[in-house]
Amino acid sequence: MTHWLIAPIILPALLAPFIVLAARYHIGIQRTFSVAGVIAMIVIAAGLAMESADGTVQIYQLGDWAAPFGIILVGDRLSTLMVLLTAVLALFVLLYAIGSGWDERGRHFHALFQFQVMGIMGAFLTGDLFNLFVFFEVLLIASYGLMIHAGGNARLKAGVQYVLFNLIGSTLFLFALGAIYAETGTLNMADLAARVAQIDPAETVGIRVASVLLLLVFAIKAALVPLHFWLPSSYAEAPAPVAALFAIMTKVGAYAIIRVYTLVFSPEVEATAGLHDVWLLPAALVSLAIGTIGVLAAKRLDRLIAFSVIGSMAMVMVSISLFTPTSIAAALYYMVHSTLAAAALFLISDLVRTGRGNVDLTAQAPVAGAALTASLFFAGAIAMAGLPPLSGFLGKLLVLDAAYGTDMMVWVWVIVLTGSLVSILGFARAGSILFWKAHSVSPSPDALVMPRPAVLSYLAVGGLIALLGAHTVFAGQVHGYTTRIAAELFAPDAYMDAVLNTPGKLSTPSKEAH
Amino acid sequence: MEFLVASAIGIMTAAGLYLLLRLRTFPVIMGISLLTYAVNVFLFTSGRLTIGAPPVLRDDMTTYADPLPQALVLTAIVISFGMTAVVVMIGLGAFLGSDDDHVDDQPEQSGGPT
Amino acid sequence: MSLFFIVALPFLGALLPGIMNAAGRSAVAGVTFTVSLLAFVGLLTNLPSVLAGEVVMARVDWMPVLGLNFTLMLDGLGFFFALLILGIGLLIIAYARSYLSRDDNMGQFFTYLLLFQGAMVGIVLSDNILLLLIFWELTSLSSFLLIGYWKHLPEGRQGARMALTVTGMGGLAMIGGMLILGQIVGSYDLSVILQNRELIQADPMYVPALILILLGCFTKSAQFPFHFWLPHAMAAPTPVSAYLHSATMVKAGIFLMARMWPVLAGTPEWFIIVTSAGLITMVLGAVIALFKHDLKALLAFSTVSHLGLITMLLGTGTAFGAMAAMFHILNHATFKAALFMSAGIIDHEAHTRDIRRLGGLRRLMPVTFVIATLAALSMAGIPLLNGFLSKEMMLEETTHTVLFNTPWLVPALAVFGSLFSAAYCFRLISHVFFGPVRDDYPAKPHDPPAGLWLPPAFLVVLVVIIGVAPFVAEPFVKLVTASVLGGEAEVPKAYFKIWHGLVPALFMSIAATVGGIVLLLIFKPALRVWDAAPRPEAKVIFEAIIEAAATVSQKLVLPLHNGAFSRYAAIGSIAIIAAGFYAWATGTVGPTTRTLQAADPVAIAGWGMLVAATAGLVFLHRNRFLSLILIGIVGLMVSIGFVFFSAPDLAMTQFTVEVVTIILLLLALNFLPKHTPIESSVLRRVRDTSVAVAGGLAAFGMAYHFMLRDAVTTPISEFHLANSYKGGGGTNVVNVILVDFRGFDTYGEIIVLGIAALLIYALTEALLRGPVRARLLNRKPDQARAGDMHPMMMVVLTRVIMPVVLMVGFYIFLRGHNEPGGGFIAGLIVSIGVVMQYMASGFSWASARLKYPYHGVIGAGVLVAGLTGIGSWFVGKPFLTSDFTYVRIPPFHEFELATAALFDVGVFLAVVGAVMLSLESFSRLARRAHEPETEHPMDIDPSRETLPDEDGSTAKGAV
Repeated sequence: MTHWLIAPIILPALLAPFIVLAARYHIGIQRTFSVAGVIAMIVIAAGLAMESADGTVQIYQLGDWAAPFGIILVGDRLSTLMVLLTAVLALFVLLYAIGSGWDERGRHFHALFQFQVMGIMGAFLTGDLFNLFVFFEVLLIASYGLMIHAGGNARLKAGVQYVLFNLIGSTLFLFALGAIYAETGTLNMADLAARVAQIDPAETVGIRVASVLLLLVFAIKAALVPLHFWLPSSYAEAPAPVAALFAIMTKVGAYAIIRVYTLVFSPEVEATAGLHDVWLLPAALVSLAIGTIGVLAAKRLDRLIAFSVIGSMAMVMVSISLFTPTSIAAALYYMVHSTLAAAALFLISDLVRTGRGNVDLTAQAPVAGAALTASLFFAGAIAMAGLPPLSGFLGKLLVLDAAYGTDMMVWVWVIVLTGSLVSILGFARAGSILFWKAHSVSPSPDALVMPRPAVLSYLAVGGLIALLGAHTVFAGQVHGYTTRIAAELFAPDAYMDAVLNTPGKLSTPSKEAH
Repeated sequence: MEFLVASAIGIMTAAGLYLLLRLRTFPVIMGISLLTYAVNVFLFTSGRLTIGAPPVLRDDMTTYADPLPQALVLTAIVISFGMTAVVVMIGLGAFLGSDDDHVDDQPEQSGGPT
Repeated sequence: MSLFFIVALPFLGALLPGIMNAAGRSAVAGVTFTVSLLAFVGLLTNLPSVLAGEVVMARVDWMPVLGLNFTLMLDGLGFFFALLILGIGLLIIAYARSYLSRDDNMGQFFTYLLLFQGAMVGIVLSDNILLLLIFWELTSLSSFLLIGYWKHLPEGRQGARMALTVTGMGGLAMIGGMLILGQIVGSYDLSVILQNRELIQADPMYVPALILILLGCFTKSAQFPFHFWLPHAMAAPTPVSAYLHSATMVKAGIFLMARMWPVLAGTPEWFIIVTSAGLITMVLGAVIALFKHDLKALLAFSTVSHLGLITMLLGTGTAFGAMAAMFHILNHATFKAALFMSAGIIDHEAHTRDIRRLGGLRRLMPVTFVIATLAALSMAGIPLLNGFLSKEMMLEETTHTVLFNTPWLVPALAVFGSLFSAAYCFRLISHVFFGPVRDDYPAKPHDPPAGLWLPPAFLVVLVVIIGVAPFVAEPFVKLVTASVLGGEAEVPKAYFKIWHGLVPALFMSIAATVGGIVLLLIFKPALRVWDAAPRPEAKVIFEAIIEAAATVSQKLVLPLHNGAFSRYAAIGSIAIIAAGFYAWATGTVGPTTRTLQAADPVAIAGWGMLVAATAGLVFLHRNRFLSLILIGIVGLMVSIGFVFFSAPDLAMTQFTVEVVTIILLLLALNFLPKHTPIESSVLRRVRDTSVAVAGGLAAFGMAYHFMLRDAVTTPISEFHLANSYKGGGGTNVVNVILVDFRGFDTYGEIIVLGIAALLIYALTEALLRGPVRARLLNRKPDQARAGDMHPMMMVVLTRVIMPVVLMVGFYIFLRGHNEPGGGFIAGLIVSIGVVMQYMASGFSWASARLKYPYHGVIGAGVLVAGLTGIGSWFVGKPFLTSDFTYVRIPPFHEFELATAALFDVGVFLAVVGAVMLSLESFSRLARRAHEPETEHPMDIDPSRETLPDEDGSTAKGAV
């Protein structure tokens, strides 16, 4: 059997302690290993994605124990796609962190970065709910470390809130897991799906509560109103590369919802019927409204972007909460877009900060590299606001199209379309203040000269924008792929079969030798 | 028995929530710890309550307490220990930086970190 | 040339000017001109097939699932507009070369211009309406850049944002309309849609679709009430205005209405909305234009008026109306572009566009005078110029148009509008060129270089040719009209000629012209009236609205996200509890399947203590030391509970973790205030209490519910119990689960610990580097310190028991697999042992005797665990597969050596390292805070008296 499926988890998990042990005091070596590791991860992830591209479900039984008794990793189209996305994003973020020197402003950046990636990879690959919890904790605690990287009061204060809010989330997760185990006696997702189906319609409270609590846990990750409060200040205060990496963390929540609520608590299951369709979509729409309004309201660029992240996350959630194959396909397409766009924007805000020392939305004299930064910002804003020619527009079309004919259609359309208008306003306002109005301000004599951002930083941002371009040009292929993913999610026979019917240790006579 | 445990869980949760909503870091952390106890016990009870049958295999015994929740809780305890240490440290750092241990802050005023 | 090239060329070419910027202004302009010319020629190569009435198509699949494909179509209509866009584009480029000054970044300008040109061509050649939408929004974006080109001008910024907002809004509305249209027909291709008139107009969603699409058209083509953005877009450089407002941007809406004419037109809704909007715009624009003193503003409003005219013609829904509209588009493009360029020339030479400061230019700028006058007269609708012809047709059409059952309404308004239109044309001519030569021009006006006057001159030639010999334009216009009607109606037979006989239209236009002259004569009094009348200033209103929107949204969002964590937590908890309750309330409760176990007194006593401690914690939480003790009790009770309910491992872990946690908190509390002040109001506390109670009840209910019921089927732990020994080689099932069945969880968990330690270390570093350090150094400990820094007894004791502790840890570790214990607990026990050394003998003494840095220990732990897992790869097994055998080391009884045990070693190391690194970091802070510690741990506090000479050598090597 091959071990490639676990490589995205093990590679960083070994690399990080190695960096801590061997290269703690040599930033150069750290950078080399970190980058090399991420590149290797991209290659592996690409391999896994190709392996699954034809619909094969790869599984990996840890400790050779068959599901549901042991922990199992599952690589299907969806999870391998997310793994690939993570690896690619990680590379550009890492390059930016190196280019901008962020990784030198505190200890252990690269180790924490690797651990963070490991946590995210694990969350995407695992097929076991409690193991998902463990990986959530891994990626969270690493994210705490990265978020307060390099210290600073504002950042630490935001950090405290970020940690506390997520601790609430972890506690809730454990409540949900307890309820699920108490009700079904299993933790493996596929097995859970099988057992939930057996639940007597006369005693559904247990599983209903469990499924709602679990959904709320993921909703916190996905920053769904009213559980989104942790996001704005923590993303705004976090070091830019870290915030950019966090762009994928909200997606972990969305991924988990898609996975669990199509596989386990799918709309067909009558034990949990009439639960999520009641409030999930309205909540997503409210989040969309709040996110876009926040874009117009923000007084600092980084908070503006943080709100735009809430907004684009909400777009994903709107599409998910329609729970049809079309809408899931649209959501997945949009998810990739929103990850890349958010990351790019956070990095751009750091370019601005490097140029002028702050990101307040006030007119200040133009700075070194402003022209290039401005054009990058223009591109990023277009992407985020969902204007052509970038993928945001196509994603928006897909979501609107998916909502056509549903009972909530009018609401979705009105809020999505007005939402994009409002965010266009917000971005146009911000851009014209930052980059145009600047020309009417004469630089003050005592202004200290800010350094021009490093070339590598620009390359990293440019790379992300280029990826957005590719995501647009090859929209047909990508969307075709996400459509196949959605179909697979709504007919998970292959998944169930691969997970539950693969023998492991002591589950076949041949293994009795022990 | 069940009632005692359940009520204990309920009481610890309630107390934890109340402290969680306080304004200073320290009581909030206390609240989180209480919630952690509560949820650990809850997770433990998902294996139902068994007295005098620890899941250590004996030849003379046939029934044991459900070992899985115990393992899960053990993991949870350790993880939450790490989390507590971290949040305490960050809270301490925030306090040392600003001589103020409120959990609330006004990010709109706070200048961007550079 | 393939349509793809025609569309792609401007976009690809857009890169060149930017790159060649250094090569000089002429080079930049030259390359831009070449690119446009190529596209233009490419278009002309398709002329034959278009004239033959064919429809040239080009298609590439893009998002077939959605129905968005890169499908292009070239028919008469598309050709006509593409011709205008590219042809006039060429003139504009030539003109801009001479117009822009040296300080303008010409490369940027031409890049934007080409982007815009490409987007426009894309619109008129799109066959797929979603593709059309994309180009549509692209024009909004590129025009945003063009209008805001002069970044330093606030008018430029505002005008650009206004244009983007209004047209962007229309574009969004249109997305909705187009999607509906596509859903009705089942295809987004125009070639299909245009064949389904009945289907669409019968559909209940027709009206919504129509309204949404018209919103897009009206905003783009500046129809009332969205006309206000256009004049403010005049802040752009004149070439831009000339391009956007004569032939391109504002014509896009008109184009779309013409394009959709076969399927959308002809219904009462269409007729009412479009015709009336057009009429109002036409009259309004004309009236305002007359009283504008800025040449460009005057032209801008006249543009608005003429757009209204065309819209009105399309609104009538008759074939003749459509034909008149097409003809007027052609004529308007020619004379309006020429006029804008002339205005630019005057601005360029006289350095003002204010009509009141001009006059008498006839002699100073004869060439410009001829060009502008001819164009203006054509606009006024004077015979022998092309404007006259289409205006006649328009008036003719109005006589057949009945709006709101009042036959005279439309003709009357039309005449009224044309009257004002004639008036402002005459005003433009007389007030700018006639009258005495003045001596107070801002600059000495004279005719410009050929580069500036040739382009408009060329257009004026067209104006005259068409005006004198309409029949040259007739076949082409009819061809275009045919493709507009798209087989829904016959192309009218009517001939284009100057003299139609004494038809009503003739009298109407005579009335208009005469009235115009009269109006100009009484201009001054009229102006006084106009200035006296109150008028809403669109820009002010718009800016006010935007600012209001911003303020409102700030009021909405900022207070909610002001960083008040306790509110966040409260809202979150309420939401969670509510959702959970909803799920509960809508579910069905089954019967209990388990019997309650009797509570024995011990349990009740323990419960009592737990509850008491918890309650105490709530009520006394302000005293922080006390609350530490209380939480310690709670933890103790919980671990006792675990023992009671047959979970020895849990009990041990809980207990040891408890100890370490308390130590951590003590170290932290060393810095924090010792007391929590009373801050929250009674109301808040009531709120919090109710949230707390609700949450408590919820948790209680859940726990109680589950404890009285069994799982749906046997839990998977049955398998673990059955195979723990056989497969995992251990009798302590919990430990086997931890290191074998679910070893991967444990692996993740030690990594969490490791990260926690790294984080704490990194943060300490950051703090000690930053300003905090100084604060720590001159910080006075607020507690009275024990006189005896390191109590002798404690020091001795700890050092004696250290080996014992290590033995115990080792033992616990080894038995772990079969008896309660394991690497985890062992690790904690050992670290507690070391911590005791710290507490007893002080930081420096202990760390001096510490052989390995904790970083190394953690790293080693995680690596060992990981490598153990990988080890199983070499026997072809998955990660963390275990194997085991039995050995016996005296004095311990037989135990088995399992790879799982090796994994457990990793766990052990990681735990020790993590715990110690965290504690060390804390104590490093503490160390900075107090006086430097002594190397002589057994003496009394050196800070008190002279220290007697003594050293700790007796205890050397205890560690």
